[in-house]
Amino acid sequence: MSVTRDLVAALRARLGASDPAPPRVALPTVPAPPARVYAPRREPLRAGAAARHTTALLGIGHVGTRYATDVVLQFQAELAVAHEAVAAELPDGWAEEHGFLPLASRVASHREFLLRPDLGRRLAPASLQRLRDQAARDPDVQLVLADGLSATACMTSGPALYEALAAACAGRGLRVGTPVCARFARVWLEDEIGQEVGARVAIILLGERPGLGTGDGLSAYLVHRPQVGKTDGDRNMMSNLHARGTPPAEAALRLAALAAAMIEQGTSGVGLDLDRVDAPVERGYRAPQVRQRLVACGGAPAGGPR
Amino acid sequence: MDLSCAIRGVRYRFDSVKELLGRANPPKSGDDLAGVSARSAVERVAARAVLAGLTLAELRQHPVIPYEADELTRAVEDDLDEEAFRAVAHLTVGQFREWLLETTTTGPLLRAVGPGLTPEMAAAVCKLMSNLDLMTVGAKCEVVVRANSTLGLPGRLSSRVQPNHPTDDVEGILASMREGLAYGCGDAVIGVNPATDTPASTAAILTAIDEVLRRHQVPTQHCVLSHVTVQLKALELGCPMDLMFQSLGGSEAANRAFGVSVGLLDEAWATMKERGTSRGPNVMYFETGQGSALSSAAHHGADQLTLEARCYGLARRYRPFLVNTVVGFIGPEYLEDGAQITRAGLEDHFMGKLLGLPMGCDACFTYHAAMSQDELESLKVLLGAAGCAYLMSLPVGDDIMLNYQSTSYHDIPSVRRLLGKRPTPEFDAWCEARGITRGGEPGPRFGDAAVVA
Repeated sequence: MSVTRDLVAALRARLGASDPAPPRVALPTVPAPPARVYAPRREPLRAGAAARHTTALLGIGHVGTRYATDVVLQFQAELAVAHEAVAAELPDGWAEEHGFLPLASRVASHREFLLRPDLGRRLAPASLQRLRDQAARDPDVQLVLADGLSATACMTSGPALYEALAAACAGRGLRVGTPVCARFARVWLEDEIGQEVGARVAIILLGERPGLGTGDGLSAYLVHRPQVGKTDGDRNMMSNLHARGTPPAEAALRLAALAAAMIEQGTSGVGLDLDRVDAPVERGYRAPQVRQRLVACGGAPAGGPR
Repeated sequence: MDLSCAIRGVRYRFDSVKELLGRANPPKSGDDLAGVSARSAVERVAARAVLAGLTLAELRQHPVIPYEADELTRAVEDDLDEEAFRAVAHLTVGQFREWLLETTTTGPLLRAVGPGLTPEMAAAVCKLMSNLDLMTVGAKCEVVVRANSTLGLPGRLSSRVQPNHPTDDVEGILASMREGLAYGCGDAVIGVNPATDTPASTAAILTAIDEVLRRHQVPTQHCVLSHVTVQLKALELGCPMDLMFQSLGGSEAANRAFGVSVGLLDEAWATMKERGTSRGPNVMYFETGQGSALSSAAHHGADQLTLEARCYGLARRYRPFLVNTVVGFIGPEYLEDGAQITRAGLEDHFMGKLLGLPMGCDACFTYHAAMSQDELESLKVLLGAAGCAYLMSLPVGDDIMLNYQSTSYHDIPSVRRLLGKRPTPEFDAWCEARGITRGGEPGPRFGDAAVVA
């Protein structure tokens, strides 16, 4: 007998059986756990009070240290909404149907768009020619609607913000250029577009990086005397342009005021004196928008507050 | 210096140590974007073979940005511990990798050698290591720091509560913080990224958090992650501040884009040592992340891993309480998918620890990166197993202000239980006393925010 075999034999003897698993316990009664979340009546009081101040998912309880099934499904639904917004592409013809001159960057595919910001900052040759042929020259303000990181936001929130902003600029006596809509566009694409038409100010409205359960937010970037080579320090911006942040009507007034100030002061970005912009900077308290319940199976209604 | 090698009869030549470091890097979309990555898988191995033969002394002579051209290079070179450097200077990068992995190379030995290493050395050896290599050495490194509580002890895994709010609504921030504490999170720091970067809002948030922490005698520290100049002004307003924060870049130009310099950071540190409200001695908090230098065109043709290591070279000058890499936040043009983000998280943790920093990691993804929730959860466990000092924690991992996905209040106790880890000793005792945990397991008040009402 080898030493190893002796050791193994002794170990088996100590375990008392050839089956190494411990004996089975008696079967328990398994009660169904209580519903935990997205049922407002069951929410703890504290979480209910907190919900007036934040959209963070609080008071959702736990199973062991993990989430209840209901929470997992809500989370997965919100994740899917965000991923769909990122993956969405502007359909062919959408720009023309909504009254925009269609333009495209040098990006050829969605993956390339994500990986090559440099290509998303320059116009494709055909688009450059179209812009030269068809766009009005020397406007005060050239507006650009674009997909950015959420074509969903561009399509759902874009036209309303564009219209409001064009009207606000016109209301200040500023001449607005030909409406253009750019596909696979990064922020700096406004430089080449603005430079080509000879605009005094360019403003690009583009879909911003979606958050969980959202994909409707737009950001706006403004630059004075747009030309290729301008940097972020030359720009002013507003983000979170959506119902939970700054709504279109309010954003349009502020953006038009910024454009007017850029023309008056002859600069933008770090050089712009924001104290001399005649639009309200601060805004009052806005209750957070209630997070929508996304999953409803059987009889429970979807879309209601949690 | 002959920087060439042959593989199957094909000779690969590299013009400089900087180029070599870039070609030797594992695949990263940001290095492709910068044009510094290997042009083929074989060239990548060739670069690693050449790199493995360079000595640490040669690497010190060839920083990726010259001494004369960059104050960060100067700070690293001028602060280097000559005695510690001499102990390993003769090793090639390949030999250094083997020395790090030997079981006889213990945590105390690594701590003794660390001050003699330049960031380029940490980055170089990192490129020769697999994920499990990185975890093996990372877990050995011992970096223990203290502010109000003691972070980085063996068997501990801490977390930052990150109760961000899109409009800095203080009640909303506090509601989120209370819930985090009730899950045993927040022993590293209660750290808020403010939506509005002003001294008044920084002071208001800190004052409100401070009141709750004091009332409930929570043994942790607080921080509002506004710009360092804003925090200095907030201190003048007379607010409490346990830790001072700043984002760092890997070159002088990258830091200029962040609006900071070595001189300004020196001033901030001196002010905190005098006026900070934690007991210390470690009072600074830094965040970094691969790709930030390239995003401000401040990369000087170097790869993003080496530039990240240089952030740590600067950070250690200030003996920080916390440093973390925000690994998946920057977007897919720098780290494309789950494999790249996972790799980068383990690399950053390894390099930071080796250079003597209390490394945490914001294991996260943005919704346009190709990383799944399952991959992210795996990374949290890998980091915990690698001895990562702390992770972030948010409600369901969802940052409602910055719009990205990170670690959740539920993930922290889950990873701790899987790996047999506990919070800092001070916070652990507090959780036990409040019934949040019992013997390290979820206690009667676990998840009950009313415990800090």
